[in-house]
Formats: sequence, C-alpha cells, structure tokens
Amino acid sequence: MATVEKRRPTVIPPAGFTDSGRQSVSQAAGATESEEDFLRQVGVTEMLRAALLKVLEARPEEPIAFLAHYFENMGLRSPVNGGAGEPPGQLLLQQQRLGRALWHLRLAHHSQRAAFNSNVTVAYECLSAGGRRKRPGLDGRTYSELLRRICRDGRAPEEVVAPLLRKVQCRDHEAVPLSVFRAGTLTCFVLLEFVARAGALFQLLQDPAAAVADRRVGQAVLDTLEGALQASDAAAPARFLEAGSRLGPDSLALALDRAVGGRRPSAPMTREEFLERAAALFIAKVKPVG
Amino acid sequence: MSRILVPCHVKGTVALQVGDVRTSQGRPGVLVIDVTFPSVAPFELQEITFKNYYTAFLSIRVRQHTSAHTTAKWLTCLRDYCLMPDPHSEEGAQEYVSLFKHQMLCDMARVSELRLILRQPSPLWLSFTVEELQIYQQGPKSPSMTFPKWLSHPVPCEQPALLCESLPDPSRVSSEVQQMWALTEMIRASHTSARIGRFDVDGCYDLNLLSYT
Repeated sequence: MATVEKRRPTVIPPAGFTDSGRQSVSQAAGATESEEDFLRQVGVTEMLRAALLKVLEARPEEPIAFLAHYFENMGLRSPVNGGAGEPPGQLLLQQQRLGRALWHLRLAHHSQRAAFNSNVTVAYECLSAGGRRKRPGLDGRTYSELLRRICRDGRAPEEVVAPLLRKVQCRDHEAVPLSVFRAGTLTCFVLLEFVARAGALFQLLQDPAAAVADRRVGQAVLDTLEGALQASDAAAPARFLEAGSRLGPDSLALALDRAVGGRRPSAPMTREEFLERAAALFIAKVKPVG
Repeated sequence: MSRILVPCHVKGTVALQVGDVRTSQGRPGVLVIDVTFPSVAPFELQEITFKNYYTAFLSIRVRQHTSAHTTAKWLTCLRDYCLMPDPHSEEGAQEYVSLFKHQMLCDMARVSELRLILRQPSPLWLSFTVEELQIYQQGPKSPSMTFPKWLSHPVPCEQPALLCESLPDPSRVSSEVQQMWALTEMIRASHTSARIGRFDVDGCYDLNLLSYT
C-alpha cells in the first residue's frame, strides 16, 4: 500500500496532489498518513506558499531576515497565549499592533502601487481588529502615532515633518476610514522620499569644504521648483511639458548663472533650512484632512 | 477631417419584384431606399455610414443638382458594392460600414437625392435592410490650436559662456529637481474624496459626525 501511494503522486500531475491524498485517506483508514497529507493537514503548505508570495512581492535584500520577521509576526497573530497566563496589557498589545502594521507598510515601495495598496489594507485591518477591551476600528490617536513613527523611522528631521503631520493627522477620538488612512500613509512615505531627494540635491549644491550651500544657489533652485509647481490653466500634458522645459539642465544653468552673477554672496544656507523650505513646497500641495 | 451630419429623410423600403407582391410566394431580393434632403440645399457629400442587416450588395445612385433648368439625371456612384462576401453566410451581415467620397464613381459635389439599391440573392434570410443611415458633409477645417507661448517663441539657446567653477553640475541638479517635482505632482493629483466629517469652527468642534470614544 505504501509503495502504491508513493507511486501515485508522480503519475498524476501536480493538480492531482489533493486527489491522491483524499484517496489514500479513504483507502488507508487508520494506516499511517503520507507525508503530503500531514503537511497539508497541519496547514504548512498554505503558510509556506503565502510566505513565498510575500517574499516575491517585497523582494527584500536579505530574504532570510525577512522570512524570520514574517514568521515572528505570524506567531503573534495567533491567539497570544492560548489562554494560559496573564494576557499582555493593553499598551503592549497596541505596540505590537503598531509594529506589525509598520512592518506591513514597509514591505512594498510606494511606487509599486498595487502591492502598496494591498499592504495598506492589511495594516488597516490589523490596526482595526477588535480586542477584548478595544472596539473594532482605527482611532485617530493610533493613526497619528503611526504617522509619527513612519516619519521618525524614515530619518526625517522633526521640523521638516511637523507641518505635514499637522495637515494630515486626525483628532484622537475620530474614526479613520480606509481611504484617509491610505492617503495619509502614502503622503508620509512620499514625503520621506522627497526629503531624501532634497538631501541629495543639497549634497550637489553644497560647498565641498563647508557643509553649507551658497544661499543664492539654493534659493534659485527652490524658486525654479516653485515656479514649475504652480498650476497653470493648461491641460495636464502641456503643464508637464512646461515644467520639464523649466527644470531642464539648460534653463536651470541659466537660472543659477543669473542668481550668482547678480547678487553679492550672503549668509550661507544650512542643510536643515534647505530641507525645511523644500518640504514646505511639497506640503503646500497636500490636501488637509477634513 | 471633421464632418457634419446632414439631416435626411429616409423613405420606406420598396421591394422590387416581378409579379404581384401580394400573391407571389417568394421573398423579394431587391430593395430600394430613397433618401431625400428636404431642408438642406444641395451639398457636397463626404461620407455615408450605416449598419448593415443582411444586405449582400449595395448600389447607390445619386441625383445631382444642376444649375441649368434641365431635369437632373440619376447617376450611379456605387455599383454592386459587396457587403457580404458570401451571401449565404453570416460574414459581414451585421457590420457597420462607412463609404467615402473617394470610393464613389462620380463627383458628389451637389447632391440633392440619393437612392440605395440593396440586393440579397440568398433565400436564407427572411429580410434584409440597412439601418442607422447617416449622411455627412465636409465640415470646417479644424481650428488652429492656440499654442502655449513658450512653444511658439522658443528661447534662443544661450550658452552660459563660462560656467563658474563653483556652480554645481546642472544636469544632475536638474534630474534631482525633476524627481522632486514628479513626487509633488503625484501627491497633488492623488487626493481622497472621503471626508472625515469634521466640522471646524475656529479650531474647535462644532459637530461630531464621526466620533470614536
């Protein structure tokens, strides 16, 4: 009987895997289960498949560490202690939920829109799940805390991020719907990337000797960006073309030349000031919640 | 090329048959549809569109308006145009067809009347006709688009004669700035329409539509 069972899976194509399992169960009533059976009943095949799909979606640089985190979170998701011992306090549970939600949100870059959206939904469900003392739904306090954590872990300076948080946060007692949650988290991640790019831009602009940039140069670049961002009444493609022509290397070189040639050198611009001004341009375009 | 719909009056189809229509058993294989333009002066025909319904061959005759007071003659502008390659089968039976001025055999300068002659030699089909007949004439030329100013007056390429040593590389600066611009545009474009239902008066709540306590 065992040899027949082992031969059957090779003959039948992979789709027939469950069939052989079912037949063997019906035939071998009480006999030892085959290996595939055991794995299937425990639920390991499903779990491994989900884990591999997640790895493919996220494409992390260190897959082993990623998988370790994944299984750790999986363990937390099941009933925490199984009833034995004292259940963890409300605060600890909240922190765990936040951590898990953050992990989900970081899996996909915001430019991979479909993967990012599905992760946002999973994070939202994780945070909205009802607990013993918690009503289901996402409250404004947790949402604001999550946004603050995202910005802090993204290594963006506080002053740069504060105006955005003021615009996007929700009041503590408000219930946050999924679309607001998604828009808020997306805005935070995009702002983090924007600040990173602004930092790289400052690297280019700064004086190699000192860590500051010529104020005229920095101001000229920011002014050009602001000009390109101003909405003209032309339709979208014309607006993009116009912005592209303004931000092209030639016109930028002209603008820089004009700025440096015209005025006398003034106080240098620090990195923080540059980042704050650049972020202000970005945040001005964000629609506030309300 | 723009086109203008010409209002037309389509008279009922007339079956051409040998013998008495009422007594003979066979189904007619030739139909004639007359199209007149009562409210419109003779115009230049640009396009004819219709939906075929099991017509195999189409001929079109046109009566042009002549300046002199001679009786206008009927001219054939389309002869036995094949709509169904095999009259017994379905191919082409319910297609949308467009016929253009350049496909016509004669000049369509001053059309006053049209006559469509439909033929269906196959006995398989109960009836045949053309539907949704529309006649178009030449429209005005497309209006000139107003170009944005910066396209029609390109700035002469001024080479900054000697870029100062201290200025940063413009192409790299430009690429960074363009990416920042793109991120901002993306955020500006994506906005959620869901409202959180907040009513704010001078920073404090007036009404709580959604409150979570």
